[in-house]
Parts: sequence; structure tokens; C-alpha cells
Amino acid sequence: MILLLYHYIVVLKFKINKIIMENERLIDLVTKISKNRDERAFSELFDFLAPKINAYYLKNNLSFEQSEELTQEVLSTIWTKTNLFDPERSKFITWAYTIARNKKIDLYRKTKNKTAEDEDIRHFLYQNNKINDYEIELSINKIKKELDENQQKLLKMSFFEQKSHKKIAEELEIPLGTVKSRIRSTLNKMQKYLS
Amino acid sequence: MNTAAQKNELIFGYSSGNLSEAKSLFVSMYLFLNSVAAKKASIFDNILADNLSNLDEVAPKKINYKDCINASSNQNLEFKISKNYNPLTNLIGSIDNLNWKLIYKGFREFNIPLKGSDSIKLIKMDPGTSVPLHSHNGKEYILVIDGSFCDEYGEYKKGDMQINDQKIKHHPTACDKNGCICLTITERDIVFFGKLGSALNLFTFIKSFFK
Repeated sequence: MILLLYHYIVVLKFKINKIIMENERLIDLVTKISKNRDERAFSELFDFLAPKINAYYLKNNLSFEQSEELTQEVLSTIWTKTNLFDPERSKFITWAYTIARNKKIDLYRKTKNKTAEDEDIRHFLYQNNKINDYEIELSINKIKKELDENQQKLLKMSFFEQKSHKKIAEELEIPLGTVKSRIRSTLNKMQKYLS
Repeated sequence: MNTAAQKNELIFGYSSGNLSEAKSLFVSMYLFLNSVAAKKASIFDNILADNLSNLDEVAPKKINYKDCINASSNQNLEFKISKNYNPLTNLIGSIDNLNWKLIYKGFREFNIPLKGSDSIKLIKMDPGTSVPLHSHNGKEYILVIDGSFCDEYGEYKKGDMQINDQKIKHHPTACDKNGCICLTITERDIVFFGKLGSALNLFTFIKSFFK
């Protein structure tokens, strides 16, 4: 039992260290791009990020062609807008995710005179110190610990892969009503770590 | 129903990018005015972004980093976010200069021109003005932008949000001395009760033909 616990702590520590190191490396690359327009740093960033963003779009049911097109737009935006990234307040992967998500919104957007990025309030919130990705880490770790594997999977399917409740019910072979109530109860369970 | 789960679902929807244009603007304003909601959104963003690290990666075949640099060659590299940024006035201009439509004495509306499945409007109530007792066929989302309103469930101030569905009957009154301005989304028409109820229901019925 003690051995198992020790193993769990070592693995967790390794995972956290990996994430911290990864974030530091990414911030170093972005700083090089922002300050020196360093194309080599950008090429490294592209190799790291493009396959993830492309996979995200594919998971969201876009065709390979559409996914590649949007992936290019995301990376172009990162190349041009690195000066908006604040490493003190924002994690790189979170910043990149919001850009990718905004491009996906624009794909379906009917009001064309403004883009999702024009309306994205997050840059404003970061810049005015109203949100900070590093300050909420404790809450996120507690939420992850609180939710079991099935609950995390449901959140991922519903909000990351944007599968409809109906589709989730089909894939998990459970009734539609159960999907809805499980998502509700998962969101309720998270509540105590959210305020 | 006003449960935390419904609000969380809305904010999670915003983080995931699956909301209608109207709801997306609505939540933007909610995060702008309410720092607890902003913190929640940031938690959800980070949880969703973490999934990027655990995906089975799929490398693009036809694009490379040079394409991305070339595609952005004509763009300005110095982006700034205005200190006065506000997602609502960014779209419709100052609230003081709007062309409000008078619905009845003390109650005005302004429809916000956004496409998509939900319609969104601003409501302005003079101090003491009430909305007759009503419930909703679909959900109604109310966000207080300025002032406050009171109903059977309490007082709602600037930055507070209320979500109502068919189980809720309420009778809101602008209780702040300056009245109340709210951003609202009504998914389906509301159902009125009381003396004026049938006339107002007939009005919404007729109005539905002109949508």
C-alpha cells in the first residue's frame, strides 16, 4: 500500500515536472519569436503545436483539409500576435487553445463583420490582472482529483470534442437522459472548487 | 431554476466555443462584469487546454512553419487591447446613445443585431417599473448591466445573472434609484399571467408571425 502510494507520488511529481518544463520551454520559444522574430524558434514551436491543434480540429469533426487550414491560421496568429502573450499570467498551451477555439467559432459564425477574437474578453482579463492561469492551478488540481475517470471523459467529450449529448449517449451506450444528468452532476460537483 | 450547474454549463460552453453568437456575447459581458465568473472561465479554459497535451497527435501534411509566416506577412505586429474594452459597447456603441424602442411606460428594449439561433436584447426599466408576472416556454437569461432589479428570488445587481425556465414564475421590478439595464436572451416566448396576461400573450402570439 505504502509502496503504491509512493509510486503514485513519484509519477505525479514526474508529470507535473514535465508540464512545468514544457511550459518553460514554450515560453522561451515565444519570447525568442516576440523579441527577435526568430524563425528557428517558430519552426520548433510549429513542430510541437501543429499536430496537437490539427488533432483537436479533427476531434471536432472537421475534415482533414479544414483542420489543416485552421491549424495554419492558428500558427500564423501566434507568429504575429506573440506580443499579446503574457507569460507572467498566461500558460502558453491555454493561450494557444483559446486562439484555436476562436478560429473554430469563426468557421461557423454568421455575423461576419467581427471575429471571435474581437469579442474574446480573455486578453482584456489577463491584461487587467483579473485572471491568472497560475493562480488557479490549485483549484484545477483539486477538481481533477475530485472527478473520476468517467466524469473527466464526459467533460472532454462534451466540451473539448463538442460532441452532442445524443452522440455521447450512442458512443457510451447509455440513455440520453443519463448523459444530461451526469454532466449536470459533474458540473455541480466542481462547484465547490470554483468560487 | 437558478442552479450553479446551469451557470457553469453556460461558462463551460463559452470556453469550449459551442455557444450561439448571442450567448457568447452574453457570457463575455458576464465575465467582464463578474470577477468570480471570469475566474471560473479561466479554470475551464485551462482544463480544456490540458486536453491538447494528452491527444493522439496528427501531423498536418500540406503545411509547414514557413507557410504560416508567409500567410501573415502583411499583418501589423503590434496589437494592443484598449483599456476601455467592453464587449457590448464594442459592438453597439455607447449604451447612452441607443435608439431605444418604448414597449410600455417605463420599459424600453433594444435588439442587438447578431445572427444565429438565439436573439439578444437590452432592456431598460425606469425606477419602480415592473414586468407582469410571467414564466417561459424556453429559458430566459438575464444579466444586470447597470442598476438592479428585484423579484421573488431576491435582488440582482450589476454583474449578477439569473437563468429562468418554465418552472419559474417571476415578477421583476427595477428597484435601484436609477432603474435597471439588463442584457437578456429569451430562447422562446414568455407566458404572461394576471389581468393584462391574455392581452400580452396575444401580442407575443401576433409578434411571432413577424419574426
